[in-house]
Amino acid sequence: MSAPEPTHPLAAVVRGRHGATGGEPLRVSFPAREIVQVMMRRGQDSAVAAAMRSAFGIDPPGPGQAATGSGASAIWVQPGQWLLTAPRGTQATLAARAEQAFAGLAAVADQSHGRTTIALSGPAARDALARGCRLDLHPSVFGPSRAAQTPIAQIGCLVHQTDATPCFELTVFSTLAEPFLHWLLEAAAPYGVQVA
Amino acid sequence: MLRIPCPHCGARDEVEFTYRGDATVARPAPDAGTDAFHDYLYLRRNPRGWQVEWWQHHGGCRAFLKVLRHTVTHEVRGVVTATGALEAPQA
Repeated sequence: MSAPEPTHPLAAVVRGRHGATGGEPLRVSFPAREIVQVMMRRGQDSAVAAAMRSAFGIDPPGPGQAATGSGASAIWVQPGQWLLTAPRGTQATLAARAEQAFAGLAAVADQSHGRTTIALSGPAARDALARGCRLDLHPSVFGPSRAAQTPIAQIGCLVHQTDATPCFELTVFSTLAEPFLHWLLEAAAPYGVQVA
Repeated sequence: MLRIPCPHCGARDEVEFTYRGDATVARPAPDAGTDAFHDYLYLRRNPRGWQVEWWQHHGGCRAFLKVLRHTVTHEVRGVVTATGALEAPQA
């Protein structure tokens, strides 16, 4: 279960402005998230879809997609597997809700401490990410509510575009969040970056 | 650099994939004997031309995929999921 986290994996990161000065900087923040992995049992496609719809108001998104419902989002990560995310500290924990909703239909694992989400937004966010991300992030191909898992700087990263600013939520293993952020700040330095 | 069109994720770079060998090798029956298992474990065809291979998309959807690749030109002509059927063209 998601106990309050005593120290965020990125608590020690220096806040404030990094890189180039002047102009509108990119914004980096660390939204506190509950993250729950849902792995469907074989042949339960329609039952899992019904459960996700009734518990979270989400139709299970297909490959490369994410969907947002009542207080939670679902991101497709691999066939039959999704990550559910919600802001930390809402009512009952997300893991408990998911466990109840998917009992017998899917394996549910709380990843809230295992993964860390870094939000990157600003007009130059695509250019900064493109310095290490092999995905085509052009708006005609990748847009809001698209998501994809890909290695960035040799670190497995779930890239989820949440709006057209563009804002990208980058979810990585918590133990690699610091080296990943180091890369991100270096990549964003030519544009200037504000860490909140 | 290969670009492999994953049936789930779309075209991705080779670095996201791990090569897992010939996909046409069949495991012998449990009582087939040591020689059959030796061949199954160690002997590979190493063709010059088309080969159906296992590639795992470890950097993306983590699925095992069958890929039809030309071993000389590296052209990738077909990709299916692990349970799909993929035949190498003759010669």
